[in-house]
Amino acid sequence: MANHEETPEEKPETATTEPREKATFGMPLIKGLANTLSHILRNEPNTIHYPAEKRTPFPGYRGEHRLKRDELGREKCVACFLCSTACPAHCIEIVAEEAPWGDREKRPRLFNIDMMRCIYCGMCEEACPCDAIELTPVYNIPSRSRGEKIYNKEKLLSL
Amino acid sequence: MSDTSNELISWNLNGEVVQNESGMTIMEAAKAHGIEIPCFCYHPGLSIAGNCRICMVESNRSPKPIISCSERIAEGLEIQTDSEKAVDARDSVMEFQLINHPLDCPVCDKAGECVLQDHSYEHGPDRSRFVEDKNIRHTKELGPTIDIWGNRCIVCTRCVRFCDEISGTSELCVVERGDRSVVDVFPGIPIDNAMAGNTVDICPVGALISTDFKYEARVWNMDRTTSVCGGCSRGCNVEVEALDGFVKRLMPRENLDVNDWWMCDHGRYGWRHLYADSRQVTAQTTEGSVLPAEASKALQQTLESSSSTGFLVDPFMTCEELHLVKQLADSMTGSRVAGWLPADGTEESFPGGFTISAAKYPNRKGVEEIFGADVFGSAASTLLNDIASGSVDTVVAFVGGHGFDGAGAEWNAALSSAKNRVVFTTQQGAWSEGAHLVLPATAPLEKEGVWINEDNRAQRVRSCRSLTDQNFPSELVILQEVQAHMELRSRSLSAAGVFRELSESSSAFEGHSHSSLGDHGTPLSQKPAAVGSEGGES
Ligand code: SF4
Ligand code: SF4
Ligand code: SF4
Ligand code: SF4
Ligand code: FES
Repeated sequence: MANHEETPEEKPETATTEPREKATFGMPLIKGLANTLSHILRNEPNTIHYPAEKRTPFPGYRGEHRLKRDELGREKCVACFLCSTACPAHCIEIVAEEAPWGDREKRPRLFNIDMMRCIYCGMCEEACPCDAIELTPVYNIPSRSRGEKIYNKEKLLSL
Repeated sequence: MSDTSNELISWNLNGEVVQNESGMTIMEAAKAHGIEIPCFCYHPGLSIAGNCRICMVESNRSPKPIISCSERIAEGLEIQTDSEKAVDARDSVMEFQLINHPLDCPVCDKAGECVLQDHSYEHGPDRSRFVEDKNIRHTKELGPTIDIWGNRCIVCTRCVRFCDEISGTSELCVVERGDRSVVDVFPGIPIDNAMAGNTVDICPVGALISTDFKYEARVWNMDRTTSVCGGCSRGCNVEVEALDGFVKRLMPRENLDVNDWWMCDHGRYGWRHLYADSRQVTAQTTEGSVLPAEASKALQQTLESSSSTGFLVDPFMTCEELHLVKQLADSMTGSRVAGWLPADGTEESFPGGFTISAAKYPNRKGVEEIFGADVFGSAASTLLNDIASGSVDTVVAFVGGHGFDGAGAEWNAALSSAKNRVVFTTQQGAWSEGAHLVLPATAPLEKEGVWINEDNRAQRVRSCRSLTDQNFPSELVILQEVQAHMELRSRSLSAAGVFRELSESSSAFEGHSHSSLGDHGTPLSQKPAAVGSEGGES
């Protein structure tokens, strides 16, 4: 409190009137143009001619989701809800049902991901105990309607 | 349950001298001092088995750790609950428990409320040293409502003791020996008693699973409402668990004055009427449907154009709704009030002291308290006669509850023959067909207010909001709006506010309030102490 009261008095009068470092435009401008020129001369543009040319995502890139299948072609997901519990965007909707197979109890009857709400954080992938959900490197996922952005189980399994 | 006497005993808990009543077990006495010792097989409502050994503590009277759920406190006893020896003993027990456990928490319906998970979090090793194959035990149906996942069973015998001591039906037993032990039923004798659902609740792991709730929801996603079951006049305290506004299951809530730790299966599985296709969800007149906002106006017009009105209340209405009806009836000349009762069922008593009441009306006492003891007797026969003779112009009938047969054959017939009728109903039926005005009623579990059970205990009921608030205003709101239109009321109140009015105007309710009733209710005759003074029971 005491310090706070002293500050206005201590503030030197000269603080605002002191000469600023002189701004010079000459050298930075020349440096910048030199940089541009060097790129022109090297003739290696960083811009990719998308969509004619596709970019290869670096490893670990988090794009569109998919649900994986096991060796017998059945979905690996056991409808445990851990991905939807972990999801910070609350965009995974699951309804469980009894699995028709002897080796597991549950499977998802409904598995919807709202790709418009997804923030592609990868928490679902990390939470999954069955390695059933995965974020693929696919980044070009446009659609013509909002409805298409709700990926259902069939769509997620087909990716 | 231990038998205690009033004699106080001094003993030493974690280096502190404490006092408890003689006869208490170490676990109960420690709990009284705020120290929770883990347990699997111990349950306050059952006999002590002492078979899981997770409750071990260090004692000065024994070279080895002792189990605190069965050992009693004694003068000079020194107990360490968190010494290295005690914790080490519990860690080892936990490691043994997990040897054959499948650890299928992700697909186990108990996950999230599992005692094994909780203790594993505290005491379990983070990896297993067990390299051998796990035992496989049976997964099968034990009865019409219960399945067992034998692999998950930790053989605590809680369920077995429940069936022996509380329901007295003894269907369950432990078969096989050693690490192959598992709970089973005798061939041809499934577990099928009216209290069976409780075994699922007390199973500390996900071994016993209710087929009704299986795969329906993960427990951490559900919203819980503390309420009271409307299945019979007992008024068991329950927790209503709902997912996205849809009830998924009912669980009993401990109340040693009413239902101990239990509830019956009729109540437990008796909530599907909430979602029946015949549920009345909109207001209708003979001309068409009425918007929710116009319902109270329509009711007011009907009431004001009627020269003599009979109100027919039901024993499912809360004291607050009844109070509002009484205010309306009192303000109208030529009005009378009677009540109808649903048919009695059969009483079922169990050796553990639990009784399912034959009377299937949760608030009969409340109706009688507010309208007088003859409301279901002479007042009812008078109203029946008046309807038959045509001397009643309009009948306003409340046909709530969970049944599908309205107010019973006699009243249904009388209602259909009334000149004019307004029916608040939960289900559609002959009694509401062709009525002048039909309004949706809140069912038990959807009401906000107070019910008085057969022992004259006033208990708070809370709405799980499955229909009310989502689709249509409740009776509590509509009745107050009608009163406002009739200039009987200047502003609408919450259920607690209406109850305050009731307690101010009625000597029976005097002194009680929603907050003084608390979560466990209070006998109506036991007036709470004034706020701020000592000895008030909450
Ligand atoms: S990537 Fe993140 S936001 Fe998207 S579904 Fe998975 S957890 Fe939810
Ligand atoms: S976490 Fe994996 S197994 Fe569980 S519901 Fe999600 S995708 Fe299915
Ligand atoms: S019983 Fe408990 S620990 Fe075992 S699988 Fe079920 S939730 Fe997990
Ligand atoms: S089924 Fe559950 S309550 Fe019964 S012995 Fe096994 S673990 Fe205990
Ligand atoms: S709780 Fe004490 S032995 Fe099980």
